[in-house]
Amino acid sequence: MLTPDTAARRDTVIAVVVFALIALVPFVADTYWLRLGTTVLMYAVLALSWNFIGGMAGYPSFATAAFFGLGAYAGGVAQKFGVGMWLAWGLAGLLALLFAAALGLALLRMRGHYFAIASLVVAEVLREIINSATDLTGGGMGLNLPLRAGQSVEAQADFFFWTMLGLAALAMAATLAVQHGRLGFGLRCIQQNESAADMLGVNTTATKTSAFALSAVFTGIAGAVYASWVNYIEPPDVFDVLYSVKPIVMVLLGGAGSVFGPLIGAGVFLGLEEIVWRRFLEVHSGVLGLLIVLLVLFLPSGLAGIARRRAKASTP
Amino acid sequence: MLYLQVLLNGLVLGGLFACIAAGFSLVWGVLNVINILHGSFIVLGAYAAWYAYGILGIHPFLSIILVAPLFFALGYAIQSLLLNRVIAAPVLLTLTLTFGLDLMLSNAMLAAFKADFRKLVLDPPLGLLSVGNIVLPVDRLAAMALALLLTLLLYLVLSRSRTGRAIVAVRMDREAASLMGVNVSRTYAITFGIGALMAGVAGPLIAMIFPISPLTGPVYLGKAFVVCVLGGLGSVPGAMVGGLVLGVVESFAALWFGPEHAITVSFALLIAMLVFRPTGLIGRKGYE
Amino acid sequence: MSIIRSSLAAVALAFALPATAQDVIRIGAPLPITGPLSPEAIKQQRGYDLWAETANKAGGVRVGNRRMRVEIVYVDYQSNTPRAVQAAERLITQDKVNFLFSPFGSGAAKAASTVSEKYQVPTIAATASSAQVYDQGYKFLFGTFTPNDTLTEPLADIVKSKAPGVQRVAVLARNDLFPLAIAQEMEKSAKARGMRVVYSEKYAIGTLDHASALTQIKAQAPHWIFATGYTNDLVLMRKQMADLKIEAPLVTMVAAPAYQEFIDSAGKGAENITSAAWWHPAVRYKGTDIFGTTEAYVQAFKAKYKADPDYAEASASAAGAVLQMAIEQAGTIDRQKVRDTLANLNVTTFWGVVKFGPTGQITSLEPPVFQIQGSKPVVIHPPQVKQGELRLGVQ
Repeated sequence: MLTPDTAARRDTVIAVVVFALIALVPFVADTYWLRLGTTVLMYAVLALSWNFIGGMAGYPSFATAAFFGLGAYAGGVAQKFGVGMWLAWGLAGLLALLFAAALGLALLRMRGHYFAIASLVVAEVLREIINSATDLTGGGMGLNLPLRAGQSVEAQADFFFWTMLGLAALAMAATLAVQHGRLGFGLRCIQQNESAADMLGVNTTATKTSAFALSAVFTGIAGAVYASWVNYIEPPDVFDVLYSVKPIVMVLLGGAGSVFGPLIGAGVFLGLEEIVWRRFLEVHSGVLGLLIVLLVLFLPSGLAGIARRRAKASTP
Repeated sequence: MLYLQVLLNGLVLGGLFACIAAGFSLVWGVLNVINILHGSFIVLGAYAAWYAYGILGIHPFLSIILVAPLFFALGYAIQSLLLNRVIAAPVLLTLTLTFGLDLMLSNAMLAAFKADFRKLVLDPPLGLLSVGNIVLPVDRLAAMALALLLTLLLYLVLSRSRTGRAIVAVRMDREAASLMGVNVSRTYAITFGIGALMAGVAGPLIAMIFPISPLTGPVYLGKAFVVCVLGGLGSVPGAMVGGLVLGVVESFAALWFGPEHAITVSFALLIAMLVFRPTGLIGRKGYE
Repeated sequence: MSIIRSSLAAVALAFALPATAQDVIRIGAPLPITGPLSPEAIKQQRGYDLWAETANKAGGVRVGNRRMRVEIVYVDYQSNTPRAVQAAERLITQDKVNFLFSPFGSGAAKAASTVSEKYQVPTIAATASSAQVYDQGYKFLFGTFTPNDTLTEPLADIVKSKAPGVQRVAVLARNDLFPLAIAQEMEKSAKARGMRVVYSEKYAIGTLDHASALTQIKAQAPHWIFATGYTNDLVLMRKQMADLKIEAPLVTMVAAPAYQEFIDSAGKGAENITSAAWWHPAVRYKGTDIFGTTEAYVQAFKAKYKADPDYAEASASAAGAVLQMAIEQAGTIDRQKVRDTLANLNVTTFWGVVKFGPTGQITSLEPPVFQIQGSKPVVIHPPQVKQGELRLGVQ
């Protein structure tokens, strides 16, 4: 049996090795595969972020799209007013964090379905607000971000790949820190039985709000980086409900509650999606739906669940 | 005069909303399942009415009778074969499951019917009803009347029939109902079947008024959500009240804040209700 | 490292299409083949395919002293703008196309243009009209639609001269790139002629009920109602106008009345609705492109698809025809040279006079204004191709 400390150390070593390997990809891949890889890393950030509130705390949040879109527009509008790119990204993350903290006050009092619906609707409301502020955000006509001058196509692809990788590494580090630390313990207690946790002295409000804020900050920065990467955003794109749903499916696929689950889930899911896009022209979303149905019915603890069962089966 | 017209527009729309949401609310309240398929069921029902009218000349009002048993069977099958496997699972899994199923249905409809919008045009048209300065289209009025009638029928079934009482019992306390001899699994399947039925019959009504396309499914689902929260889960009278309130709110929001904000206002109302009064406008009393 | 390289290459080969043959020009066309915009994709495809077929039947495109076939490579971006960008990049880097046609609409065209500019691939946008699409200072993007005000200005002129009593204007626009942009232009054109805009609102995408907005418009008793949106929005709006008994001397809708689907769905409600578009089968140009005259193009289209072409389909064919002319004039498929030739082009085609301005957007079209009369679109401007006069009164 691994003690908590050894488990933490083992996970950290694995994470460092994995990320170091991924960092080598730009040396072998062309720009198209780099684009795909950057997308995988971005979804990994979203999945890892969702894991804080959805996986660890057990609150099914559909607010990921809200934080993503908010971050994208915060970054975009800041740069429109001349703020430098890195600073704009930081501001986006900060805004997302503050927004989540404030939102949490209202939403985290609800449980289960109510929380899910409310968080889903927040993205819709935000989208319409941004859509109407035409003078600030361009509204339905979209927002342009400046092209990065003086950088070749290959260099830009490398740059955004490594940036997303760095963000994913940060999210991973935060996951490890929380999972093996006191906040993680509090969250697991809340997930099992919130009233009991409360009675045991866990400050449920502070704990939940921290998880919610963590689920927002990396997502918000990812949104801002995305905006700089694609140079043009419009409300239906960045507030798309699929940004809320896909990370959840990825975490379920990889195995909720496992540290590397979100990462594995993101890779497998997007790999499948790429194959489906190339092969099944008309029915791709149907195939996606089928995958989700099969996943929920037959593999509810995800791929990590299979691994765990194998491990159990092989021990005497 | 303007206000009166806007109010009436809202009430007419609200009647439709009530019918759209009643089945959804029932399923949510009794099975604790958010049926993402609901919007797509409505669209499927609308297509059925459109084809029935275009090819066989069957009036949408009659399509309702044809569509009802088909959708009940469909819902019953989906619940007993698929949903029942995960009925005890956390909220997230059931939600994801219905989401995945909806993706499949929605894609199937897109492939079969294409994304172009169809419009069911009644020939001869039903015309307008004018009282002074107020004008109301008869087809909308008829749809509203039918919608409220169907919702009322549902309420009567729930409160008078044995099956209906079983459903309400399961809603209130599953264990107690089981102890009293109610077959909970079968009740669940029947309830889901009823939910699908209500969505299916809303289809022809929708078809008479709005353009039809697989893409409009999520819009109806969104309305159903808001009506449920406004009216209280599992409560059919709640759905009626919630529907009418939503219709009027959207009408006046479009008037006062501009049409692009109408939907936003209704969602903001949803959030406010969830925060301050999650049991809905008429509270727990509604589903007796 | 080399194992990774070769296995990645093997995987890439498994997905990649066969290497380009020496005598084929490949043009990438990312289209929303699935999703909400799929009806538009069908139109674009018809236009592109007709051009490719016509060019190949004539022996291919003349490149210097040899001839090359054209092949259009379609990729579905699922009506999703980020995917459109991804599709454009895939076409350039994986499918190794020589040139690119833009994805549908101003938003996606703008988004994808960053990719084609980065890789310096000449790209022609067949359905992007908003000037904002071309305001990045890009050199490799060209568009066959003139800016939105070229539609609204002639329309406002006609109204001013034929119906001087028109004073009060109501505008209802879909909150989407093109519908909103052209509505804003209409307001400018109307105000410039001394008319008063008494109502100006936008409606959210996915609005199913316009009753409130229309009720307010009715209360303002406007002389001219200007509405924008896609076909389903405008069909619904027209029906609800009739439901509320709204009548006005003039009703203009953009862009649905140009499509037969609108006339079919709106029935009698389509009568006397005015609209403007970048082209109409009734215009008459004697072009030096592969199709030649406008009539010849319309006939070729009818022969293949058994229907009259609308402006969206014609624009796609025009994009192909113009690209062909630039390649033939340059005598090469070298991207920079073709790009320079496009920038300096000044020719007449079945689509109209084609001359691109400094931003890459075409500046030389005279978009026709038309009105639905007797369930048929009748051109009322420009005078050279006029088929009828403006009629007032929409019930």
